[in-house]
Amino acid sequence: MTKQEELKLIFIEEANEIIEKLDVDIIRFEENSNDLELLNEIFRGVHTLKGNSNAFGFTRLGEFVHHFEDLLDYYRSTKESIETNNLELFVESVDVVKEVMICELDAIEQLPKSYAECLEKIKILLDIKKNRTKPTVEQKSIEPLNDLACEFASISFEEDKNEVEECVKFQQSMQSEELNLYKIDLTLDNDCYKRGFDYFIFLKILGERATHLDSFFDMQNIQMLDEFKCDENSISKVTIVALTPLVYGEIEEIFEFLFDHEYSITLIPPLIAEQKTDTQIQNNSSSETSEIVSNATSKTSTISTNSNTNTPKSTIRIDTFKVDELFDSVGELVIAQNFITQNREIRSLENEAINRSIETLSKITKKIQDRVMSLRMVAIKDTFEKMKRVVRDTSKKTCKEINLIIQGEETEIDKTMIDNLSDPLIHIIRNAIDHGLESCGEERVSVGKSADGVITLRAFHKSGNIVISVSDDGRGINKERVLKKAIERGVVGENENLTESQIFALLMQPGFSTAETISDLSGRGVGLDVVKTSIEKLRGKVEIDSKEGSGTTFSIILPLTLAIIDGMLVQVAEETYIIPTLSVIESFRPQKEIVHFLKSKGEFVNLRGECIPIVRLSDVFDLKTTRVEAWDAILVCVETEGGRIAILIDELLGRQQVVIKTLGKSLAKIKEISGGAILGNGDIALILNVDELRPLGEISHV
Amino acid sequence: MEINGDEIIIELDMPMDEVVKFEEFIRPRIEYIEKIETEPKGTLTSGALLSLLVSIKRTRPQIEIPFLEKGWATSSTHGTLHWTYHD
Repeated sequence: MTKQEELKLIFIEEANEIIEKLDVDIIRFEENSNDLELLNEIFRGVHTLKGNSNAFGFTRLGEFVHHFEDLLDYYRSTKESIETNNLELFVESVDVVKEVMICELDAIEQLPKSYAECLEKIKILLDIKKNRTKPTVEQKSIEPLNDLACEFASISFEEDKNEVEECVKFQQSMQSEELNLYKIDLTLDNDCYKRGFDYFIFLKILGERATHLDSFFDMQNIQMLDEFKCDENSISKVTIVALTPLVYGEIEEIFEFLFDHEYSITLIPPLIAEQKTDTQIQNNSSSETSEIVSNATSKTSTISTNSNTNTPKSTIRIDTFKVDELFDSVGELVIAQNFITQNREIRSLENEAINRSIETLSKITKKIQDRVMSLRMVAIKDTFEKMKRVVRDTSKKTCKEINLIIQGEETEIDKTMIDNLSDPLIHIIRNAIDHGLESCGEERVSVGKSADGVITLRAFHKSGNIVISVSDDGRGINKERVLKKAIERGVVGENENLTESQIFALLMQPGFSTAETISDLSGRGVGLDVVKTSIEKLRGKVEIDSKEGSGTTFSIILPLTLAIIDGMLVQVAEETYIIPTLSVIESFRPQKEIVHFLKSKGEFVNLRGECIPIVRLSDVFDLKTTRVEAWDAILVCVETEGGRIAILIDELLGRQQVVIKTLGKSLAKIKEISGGAILGNGDIALILNVDELRPLGEISHV
Repeated sequence: MEINGDEIIIELDMPMDEVVKFEEFIRPRIEYIEKIETEPKGTLTSGALLSLLVSIKRTRPQIEIPFLEKGWATSSTHGTLHWTYHD
């Protein structure tokens, strides 16, 4: 991969992050359009996107965000309150940015229709705004295409200065601990080109290390062609603003061959440091700013003050592939450590020093495992923030007023799961609004509810798992209707006696929908099926709880991580299997009286009135063993998508966290097994896929 | 440099000697030129060319120079450039 391609990949990643953030921020801004700080934040995102898009040849995106930036800049500089319809334009613009980004990435020539329309709206709005506020500004032949630079094209030099100050402020906001911010003024002599110097040479050198680099060329002294000589410098001044890890001395070295009067370097302190030095500045009346100024003539005086007094969080960007590799290595380390801990020969050594070392090794391994795990964990906040947009759009489409309540947004979850969680959540939320809530405010009021529907999005830990729930306070699920539909479709028999959760689970069957009308949001019976499949891919499950008249809650239950599973180790015919603890309800040795055999339906256990089919692992995997009666064995009751089953085993070995290993292609075909794990003693155990232990069609309910 | 009727297309990354040649070319022909376009993927690499474009625009404001009129440019090597010229 070439350097340019690498840079492009970084740009795409960053651009997507910016766009995702814009999507969230714009909805927050819509909620509170007086939040100027948030407007600045949006502006900064758009500004960065503009620069990067143009640099990588995404000119269509660059052009759009350029105008959008102009509009944002107008509002942030005038502090004018934003009209509701114009807020809608902001939201629309972010949508266009998202769509154009896709077009740019996929090299799609045809831009969406909304591109031109939205761009036109922005231009018109800008024209209206600018003509209203700046009637005296001479109309230039220049199209109103330009960004900040254009605006000061015919205005005073004072405005140029403001522009530099704006840029300084912007870069200050991007500054982190390891970066220094410099303002460099270049006033090169007329003969500089002949001496081999050009502004662009310095920009190129600075650009090699700078994370942000802006330069402002003051061309006011350029003469008409009659008097102009292109080999003589007539640019009066260039101001460079650079955010770079280079220290003062290194910056100075770049300009060391210039005359002292041709350059001036100013080290600008970070924002926090600037605030801290305010009091010192007041004591020093000769200092107008807190900048650490060092002209070429007094270079040595203040360099030692280059110490960043703020300690912002320092972050580095790491490829998730590398984190996954590290995670795999730690998995191996855990296995090796378990092997040592459980090795009988080592354990038989009654050497205190060795035992202590093993104990220390265990503790350190656990600590490393926890820390590496934490690298993959991210707060669910961003995903929840995205859902605000979904709620807003669905609310508008369905004409239902909705209050969204978000709880537990700081709950952390595996990054891989976060990435795959958005779509299921969108499905559930749309479904909740479209079908869960009553069709209008009047209907709600008539049953004693508030006119506005309430959707609650919640994340929390429960029994070592993460639960993400979406609740609505709508009409709830009509169980009878669901059951009737299921019988009509032949999904269940007329005489089958289903529990409440089994009835609700029918809603997640492919093609099952009770919706009488199909909207573009939901009702086709594909959404919840997709949700279920997506969540199961993440080793999780979906539970539905509903009370007619009060509302419905969809709970997505996920393991903490995809790479490690909490499992119950069981033994059957000398073989060890792992049952995911997430599915286990209880284990017990049944009494003879509660075990029944039904002709053509097999063995059942009557557990507190519920008849649960018994599944013998020795039958499933065709293991050679002496057949024991169920009351002489142990049953592990597990929840599966087809209802509860009782797995018959010989022995319970214990509960353990195991690192999941994928099986080879040939074993992957065995649907009853979802993976393998290496145990502490070096043995291999297979992880059971409990949902496949009995096909759905064989479910029998008595 | 390409000439297309009354439109000239120039490369932005021309070295100093070419800038001088461009200046020499345009000086006697300035009244006949309607537009100066730039190669789409080029990057400005000299203050001399930028100055020359400003000088041309100042001498004959009717000439369209979209690159200059934009007021800014970005490149991965030189960062974001902003310029001001006063008519």
